[in-house]
Amino acid sequence: MGLREIAESDLGAILEDSAYGFGYPITVTDPAGTVKPFTGYSNDISQIIDPDTGQAVSGRLASAAIRISSLTAAGLTLPQGIADTSKKPWIIEFDDINGNAYKFKVSQSNPDRALGLVVCLLEFYK
Amino acid sequence: MTITALIDKQDNFEVIRDQIVTILVTEIASQQSLATAAAKDPDEWKLRIFAERSNPWEQYLNDSASDPSPIVNVWYDNSNFDQSGSNISERQKTDGIFNIDCYGYGVSEDDGGTGHKPGDREAAYEVQKALRLVRNILMSAEYTYLGLRGLVWQRWPQSITVFQPQIDGRQVQQIVGARIAFRVLFNEFSPQVVAETLEYLSVDVKRAEDGEIVLEADYDYTAP
Repeated sequence: MGLREIAESDLGAILEDSAYGFGYPITVTDPAGTVKPFTGYSNDISQIIDPDTGQAVSGRLASAAIRISSLTAAGLTLPQGIADTSKKPWIIEFDDINGNAYKFKVSQSNPDRALGLVVCLLEFYK
Repeated sequence: MTITALIDKQDNFEVIRDQIVTILVTEIASQQSLATAAAKDPDEWKLRIFAERSNPWEQYLNDSASDPSPIVNVWYDNSNFDQSGSNISERQKTDGIFNIDCYGYGVSEDDGGTGHKPGDREAAYEVQKALRLVRNILMSAEYTYLGLRGLVWQRWPQSITVFQPQIDGRQVQQIVGARIAFRVLFNEFSPQVVAETLEYLSVDVKRAEDGEIVLEADYDYTAP
């Protein structure tokens, strides 16, 4: 097994370990409405945004990282941002550490095909 | 020699900033009443007006259940003084810029059908709605002099600039900002010396038929 295969295998242990690691339940819904559960990394943090008006405003950044091989094994393709308003977006849902549920749409997808990891940048969805 | 009177007043740039805020608050409430009377959703005419605030968004960016109406922040930016239209003792003709920053907030949502409403577009529509309302209100004929005739010479929307405050398009909430640089020409006044009356003097000027000028003066004084 080459180093890249080992790294991808380790990714499963690192990313999807919810018992002793940072893995956390994530639900992914594709535009066709297929819902699948995964374990991965999820982030939702505050950040200051500079709107170029000279006055900073508060903002939030959210993202989720999922193992690509887990997605394909579940029958899903790579999530991506959907600009076409006539289609449903990819939806990602997860709870924060206090159990509050949040629903996001994928606004941008950054797959790392070398390592087998996709990072989805998210925005609120209702 | 020092100024004898306490400077206990607002300068006119402060008066005008507050007047812009008052006009917007009053007219937005009026527009909402008119919308209700026209059987339309008054929330579509709702703006939240602030003055001189640095971060009016904070209230609901961390509380998605709070009021998502567009936010307007009126703040004084700068002034230039026109010497040719002023006098050196009392009045300074002032060319002031008041920034009226509008912020639209949008959340992507399901359209109830087969598609969705993208948050970036909704945020742009919201801020454009705010721009539309603010410009129409302040440039209406009712406010040619911002309700301060005699003080304000002219008001004019110098420019509108739209900003897309994004960190590589990654933020959870979609926000679009826009600025109306609102130019107002007005007078500023400064404290004056209060003259002390020394003596009253009355003078009649008469011109005789031959053109000779004759002055007749009355002095009101107490003979020693």
